[in-house]
Amino acid sequence: MNDEELTKQHLNDINKIARSIKREATLMEICGGHTNIIMKYGIREILPKNIRLISGPGCPVCVSSQKDIDCMIELAMQGVPVATYGDMMRVPGSNYSLEDARAKGCKVFEVYSAEEVLKLRKDYPHIVFFGIGFETTAPMTTFLLENNICVYSVHKLVVPAIKAMLGGEIKIDGFINPGHVSTIIGEKAYADIKVAQAITGFSAERILRGIRALLELIKDDKKSVVNAYPEAVHYEGNIIAQKLLNNHFKISDSEWRGLGVIPNSGLEVRKDDLNAKIKYKNILSKVPEPKKTACRCGEVLKGLIEPTECPLYRKACTPENPKGACMVSEEGSCSISYKYGR
Amino acid sequence: MRCRGTPHPGSKQAKLADPIKQVLLEAASSIKTIKHFEGAQKKFVIKMQKDFITLAEGSGGKEMQELIKSFGFCKRGNWKECDNDSAVLDLDAVKGKGKPGKLVFTTDSFIVNPIFFPGGDIGHLAFSGTINDLVVMGAKPLGISLGFVIEEGFSKEDLDKIITSIKKLSEEYDVSVVTGDTKVMENGKLDKIIINTSGLGIVDEKDLLTKKIIPGDKVIISGGIGEHAVALLSKRFEYETKIITDSKPLIKEMDAVKRLIKIAKDPTRGGIASILNEICSKNKVGMLVSEEEIPAKQEVRKVVEMLGINLYELACEGRMICVADKNSASKVVKLLKEFNPDASIIGEIVDDAKDNHVVLQTMLGKRILAMPTGRIVPRIC
Repeated sequence: MNDEELTKQHLNDINKIARSIKREATLMEICGGHTNIIMKYGIREILPKNIRLISGPGCPVCVSSQKDIDCMIELAMQGVPVATYGDMMRVPGSNYSLEDARAKGCKVFEVYSAEEVLKLRKDYPHIVFFGIGFETTAPMTTFLLENNICVYSVHKLVVPAIKAMLGGEIKIDGFINPGHVSTIIGEKAYADIKVAQAITGFSAERILRGIRALLELIKDDKKSVVNAYPEAVHYEGNIIAQKLLNNHFKISDSEWRGLGVIPNSGLEVRKDDLNAKIKYKNILSKVPEPKKTACRCGEVLKGLIEPTECPLYRKACTPENPKGACMVSEEGSCSISYKYGR
Repeated sequence: MRCRGTPHPGSKQAKLADPIKQVLLEAASSIKTIKHFEGAQKKFVIKMQKDFITLAEGSGGKEMQELIKSFGFCKRGNWKECDNDSAVLDLDAVKGKGKPGKLVFTTDSFIVNPIFFPGGDIGHLAFSGTINDLVVMGAKPLGISLGFVIEEGFSKEDLDKIITSIKKLSEEYDVSVVTGDTKVMENGKLDKIIINTSGLGIVDEKDLLTKKIIPGDKVIISGGIGEHAVALLSKRFEYETKIITDSKPLIKEMDAVKRLIKIAKDPTRGGIASILNEICSKNKVGMLVSEEEIPAKQEVRKVVEMLGINLYELACEGRMICVADKNSASKVVKLLKEFNPDASIIGEIVDDAKDNHVVLQTMLGKRILAMPTGRIVPRIC
């Protein structure tokens, strides 16, 4: 069968299983990449009425805390050269974005890979890398740490986030677990989470394949994980990457936008002299706590509200002039909704 | 940010990475003081002057004249006074005495990183881009201007490659470069090179492609999309690809179909997502596009998926989107297929005077293809 036939087959099965579930089931996709495909193909609209899909905190740009972003901008403003991935450049801090800082003459570099930072170091020996992302991008950051480049880490872990969502304000019947992250951490990482979960990849066929597997679990009341992406994800994951993470990072509490501090949910640089938070303590300790704004990114990230329910959405906050992080990233719920919404 | 690849002499990287070049550069910067030296040193100085661009070559003096002469643009068509302050064209010689005709005029500036990429370079883009802006109006290009702003220290060998590619196109498509300008900016004040080209064309009233489009008309693309972007990005993301840029002047394609179509556009920045929306909002209509009819090479699709970027927003530099009456559409596609086998009908104009939406028919349903916003940034995870 080709992709299209498979997709239609999954949809048929989903309709059958949903009927036999006989109640409303809420599924959360953790990964922003999944949200993108779901919205792109209008998958929410074609699912049976009793199956509700909500988006979770899986866009790395969106979940970085306002304080961390302010700290990074302050470093740049104080003359420390900084480098980070493209999306991060436009996230508004309390006063400016990193892109604004660059326009004002600060040394801010947009890189596509960690490797490029190594090249930048030739001209800027004190360059600091703003390490962002989940277990997928963190191994690349270890490459910089191995080369003695100073890192400000806001790297985050997926499993603690799922656990936090599980104890949260809405009842979630099942999770669509991220595909790329799972290639690193493996199916085993989800084994002790007591809820239905399906790991899947990034196409309409794979998403529906995952939803179908998830509904099977919910129907049978099984609180376990299914690997619906066996072409890429193994039980053990990528052992080499896991070792690298363990060598260079220690697990620490981390602040998430909207979710607050989640215990043991972040990766902190092990070596003090390569940890920008310690090295530049004197600059960073003066960064004030961010003020609260009308932006409701936090609630969007928790799945409590749809982007359209935020008072800023499409009015003060647009992809051209974003007020909140969820409108910046291609994986942010607000930006995706803006793009594909009717 | 400077791109990957070999840094040109004079850049900071070059100074650090290559002590020999450093010595040569210092020698070159003191040209004035050693000019009176005889023999071997003099030869050395002359050779150095030829290696890279100096500020003097943008200062309007002898050095600049020498440089421009070295470009060697000599084919000027019907244009006269090409070495004067303005080039002169006798319109009667072009369209025939007393015959009607409209002039079309366009300009574009080109910055691209990297400046050399699989299948092309910034010069190729600068020529094709401006020609295509004339061509999609239905016009015959009469000549173009060529303005360079170059960073001091830019390699003359690279400049030569850029000029050669412009000259080759100019000869192949018989459009002369009739006037130009060269400025040089201090090292570090500019990222290598900026090219500006303006183009003048002429069109018969009846060929002007600003005709009214109506529901039922077909939307046609002249070839696969995303090839230019995938070729360009391969340099930036360091992946290997067989895909080369689609950059090319569309003169021959347009000559074949211009009597059969109503409007045409070239989907450069913003890709087809931008151009299809532009067509709809300008003409106060909607469009229904079938996703599976949009041609793109398998390798292009894979790279785009890997990087997490939107295929429909990627620039093409040698494709056109045209709209034709439903009865002529298949003829247009047949003619375009002679140039590119991927040419196809991708959709049709529908009635949507209110929202002017471009709607994509996907395998699962319909969705809106929005006007792109912001910049194209690959996904983080």
